[in-house]
Parts: sequence; C-alpha cells; structure tokens
Amino acid sequence: MAFLELDNVSKSFGQVEAVQNFNLQAERGEFVSFLGPSGCGKTTTLRMIAGFELPTAGTILISGNDVTFKPPQKRNTGMVFQAYALFPNMTVADNIGFGLKVAKKPSAEIKKRVAEMLALIKMEKFGDRYPYQLSGGQQQRVALARAIAIQPQVLLLDEPLSALDAKIRVALRQEIRAIQRELGITTVYVTHDQEEALSLSDRVVVMNNGCIEQVGTPFEIYNFPQTEFTAQFVGTLNRIGATVRDVANGELLIDSQRIVTAQKLEGVSNGTAVTLSIRPERISFAADGRKPNGLNVRVENITFLGSIVRVQVRAGDNVFLMDTFNNPFLKLPDIGDVVEITFSKEAVLVLKHA
Amino acid sequence: MKKFPFWAWFWVVLGVLYLFLPLYGTLDFSLRMVRDQLSFAAYEVVLRDPKFAATFSYSFIMALWTILASTLLIVPTAYWVHLKLPQLRPLVELVTLLVFVVPAIVLVFGLLRIYSRPPLALTNSDLGADILLVAGYVCLSFPYMYRAVDTGLRAIDVRTLTEAAQSLGANWLTILLRVVLPNLRVAVLSGAFLTFAIVIGEYTLSVYLARPAFGPYMQLLGRTRAYEPAALAIMSLTLTWTCVGIIQLLGRGVPGQGQLAGTR
Repeated sequence: MAFLELDNVSKSFGQVEAVQNFNLQAERGEFVSFLGPSGCGKTTTLRMIAGFELPTAGTILISGNDVTFKPPQKRNTGMVFQAYALFPNMTVADNIGFGLKVAKKPSAEIKKRVAEMLALIKMEKFGDRYPYQLSGGQQQRVALARAIAIQPQVLLLDEPLSALDAKIRVALRQEIRAIQRELGITTVYVTHDQEEALSLSDRVVVMNNGCIEQVGTPFEIYNFPQTEFTAQFVGTLNRIGATVRDVANGELLIDSQRIVTAQKLEGVSNGTAVTLSIRPERISFAADGRKPNGLNVRVENITFLGSIVRVQVRAGDNVFLMDTFNNPFLKLPDIGDVVEITFSKEAVLVLKHA
Repeated sequence: MKKFPFWAWFWVVLGVLYLFLPLYGTLDFSLRMVRDQLSFAAYEVVLRDPKFAATFSYSFIMALWTILASTLLIVPTAYWVHLKLPQLRPLVELVTLLVFVVPAIVLVFGLLRIYSRPPLALTNSDLGADILLVAGYVCLSFPYMYRAVDTGLRAIDVRTLTEAAQSLGANWLTILLRVVLPNLRVAVLSGAFLTFAIVIGEYTLSVYLARPAFGPYMQLLGRTRAYEPAALAIMSLTLTWTCVGIIQLLGRGVPGQGQLAGTR
C-alpha cells in the first residue's frame, strides 16, 4: 500500500476547476515533484495535502489514514514555503524549535533536536540570529530544518528555491535532496522549473490545466513524453511538420526529403500531415556519407551557449534547432551554408496529438 | 552650480510659521503670569492643583483600559478579516471610520439613552459609567487602532506565517499569541499611543457621562483662569508629541519593521 495516496482528488473555486481527478500513489521515502506552468493546479494539490484547502471530491490518505478533512495542525506534514515564512520575532533556534514547543516536548529534547537540525543544515553558529540577519538561502535552509524538526510523515515544498539566485538554487537543491535521502522522508515538491524537477525527483508528475499529463521517472518524462504538452514543456523540443509517405515502413517526408521513424505509425494513412518531435541534442552534423536520416538544411543562426552551441536551421517551412557540444577544434558552418544533418530513427517521435 | 531652491524654502518656512507661531504665542503667554518677567508660575499652579493629578490619573487609567479593550477587539478582528474574509475589508474600514461621521455628542446621547434605564442601567454607578466611557473611547480609537493594525498585518504576510505555524501543529490561540501579536508589536503600540493621546484630551464623552476626566478639567480651567489654560495646553501638546516620538522610536527599533506601522 502506498504511503501517500491521492484518490480522484478534485478542487473547484466557484466555476473554475483547479484540479481534476488527481490520482497519485507515492511510496515511503519517495521524492515526487509536481511540474507544470503557473495555474496548472500543482500548488493547489500540495495545499490540499497540507490541509490548507479542502478537496471538492476525492480522498487523501497518509500512511493509510484518511486525512482529507483533518485540519493542517493534525496532519503531521512539514511545509516549506517559497517566501520562507520564518517567524520574524524568533531567532533561528526558536524557529526550528517552534513545532516541538507547540507539541510540548521537554526543553532538553527541544534543545538537542534544534542542535541536530542546525548541524544538518550546517548552520550551527547561526542559532541566535534573527531571520532578517540571514541571506535568502540561509533562511530557506532554516525553513527546511524547521519543517523536518517535527519529524513529519510527509514533507511538502512549495517552490522553495524560486526566490533564490541561480547558483544558490543549484547548491540548495542538492542539499535538499541529500537531507531527504538521509532522513527518508516522503516528499512532494512543487516547481515550474523542469531542471529542478528532473534533477531532484524519483518521479515527476507533469500537470496542465488541473490535470495530470504524465507521471514517470525523469528519464521517462524527458525521453518518452506521452503527450504533446509534456514534450513541449519538458526540455527544448523541435516540432516539425511532415507528411506520411509509407505507413508500413515508418517513412515520412520533411520538405520532400525522406526520413524514417522507429515509432509504429498508427491511426494515419499515406499522405496524412503529422507533427514530429526531435530533441535538439539528438541532431548532429552528418560527418560522411548519408545516414539513415539525413536532411539537407540551411544554417540560419548560430548561438554560443558555453558548453554547447545551438544552431538554427531551416528545411522548407520548418525551422528547428540542433545542439552540438562546444569543440574549439571543430569548424562550424557559416550562416547561409547548406549542410547535411542527421538523427537516429529512434529520435523521431510522432506526437499523439499531432 | 545648482540653483538655490528659493520657492521650495519659501513654502517650507511659511508652513512652519503657520504651525508654530500660534504655539509660540501660547507658550509665551503661559510664561507671563508674573508681571514683567518669564516664569513657570502658571505651570506650578496647574501642577499643585489636586484636581490636575486626580483628573489626569483618572484619564490615564481610562486610557489604559481603552487600549486593552481595543487591542483585544481589533487585533483578532483585523487578523481574521485579513485571513478569512478579505472581501469584507472595505466594509470593516468603513465601520471604523464611522466615528468621523457620527459626532461624539450623538454617540454619547445614544449611550445615555440605552444604558440609563433597565435592563442595563450602567449610568447609575461609577463602574457602569466608567465602562460606558471606555466603550465610547474604544469607538473613538477605532480608526487609529484599526489602521495601525491593518498596516502591520499587511507588512508581515500573515497568511503564510499562519499556515507555517499551522503545519507545525499550532492552534489558533498559539498562532495569535506567539506569531501574530509579537509581529504586530509596533503596530499595536503606535495605535495604543494614538489612542492614549486622544483619550487624555477627550471632552464630550466624559462631560456628558459626568466622569472626572482630564478633558473637562482643561475646559473648566479655560473658563475661569487666564494663564493656566495656556500652560495646560502646552503640557498636553508636549505629552501628545512625546507619544508620537515614542512611536517613531519603536518603529525604528524593531528588526524587519523599518517603517512605522500606521504611517506607511
């Protein structure tokens, strides 16, 4: 039986259906991320797990107990907010010990636990400081320590890194993951940042318009998107218009040039217009001779992005991107050159909703 | 070279003169009780008068009760409105501003009409009349106390703090006492000092409820003496300004609350 279970959970605000028939089963110690654009219902779902919103329909179970209508203070969930939400009138130590004081734990136990938490977040010397004396990253680490000090059954994080700058965000997300692994807390993480979701999670729930688009491991979500939305939202994706040439052999035409897909073509016939998706990093310059999928394209733009170089090319009406590793000894084509590019037949996906 | 802003300074000086010349006149007059010399004789007469101490201490105590009652009434109300009923905020603001529309004389006659006969004949006893006076003062303090608390609540993201406390297991009373109220300290204190300044000089309610307050004493003195009322006016003004000064100091001293709540 799953440790955290959401069964057909829905939430409406008046006429607006914020979350529709949300189903999820998370195992004990699992790290699950809700990924989606603003307004997709991910934070509402998290708030329903925390008890700040009541579902219009469905049930929420934690460790087999129905908590759907329990008040937040009786759910034993720890919550970390985007805005830190540290109590400004309390020191770091008092903030961390707040939940334990409320639970009327003995003062010796509180002191010990606070010291453990400060050590865990590597802020042993900051116990007497006030939140306004800390940086954003430090405040969020304190908020994390405060949430896990009460040993919650489920840890909920609502875009905790959004207010931080890029470098601190990367460092802190690794810290969050390390702490979560060490303590084995079942964690739900809300983010609109795909890199965060993919790098942190055991499983990612991609959401759009209040519905689940796809649930899977980061590998599955990125490499095998099942819906057009997932394919577009996660990573950079080329959408290329094509025509089916031979259904049986998986042959397609892009700008009258023949390519092949490994995907079985279903529900289409020869001559049908379809949309293909190919990740930029799956495309490369053809070194010598024709490859299974070779396309002649015109180079329109070249952008240097540090470790990679992004090349924009055109084939007929289709403009798409290809990423190649930055190699200082490799001669790149000039803008306006016609070059041959190649990609494997496995890289070509025909989108479900093409 | 930057041009001297003559007109800006002209208006500033004009404004200062407009405000301070009458004050200077009052101060000067209050110091001339003894012919042909400046002295604090008028102040000595006022301070030696036993009625001064009696009425001032009475008003002081009433002010403290008013502050307590309005804090207990307004802080939870404003908090709840912020948290659960934000759509009612304009209505609550309107209610708190009613004292600017309904004159104190109307308020006190309303109180007398209702509470001078059974079942709640409060005017028949000193305690009852004191309760009515404090209740009236609470109404008068509404706009100042509510605005101060409301601004304080807007400054602290009360919703997120409440949710954070809830997720840590705190009940409503704990949240109010340990999280909300300490973070509204400056706001409540600024509201409290404004309330104090109003109550100390209030006349209408206390005279019609026949209470021995400082306001009626000042009025009485003004009718029977010449120099002492001027001295009393300067003392009253100094007290009010001291209160405002304390609010400013408190506003500066609290971490993360650089601005004075109620004056943003």
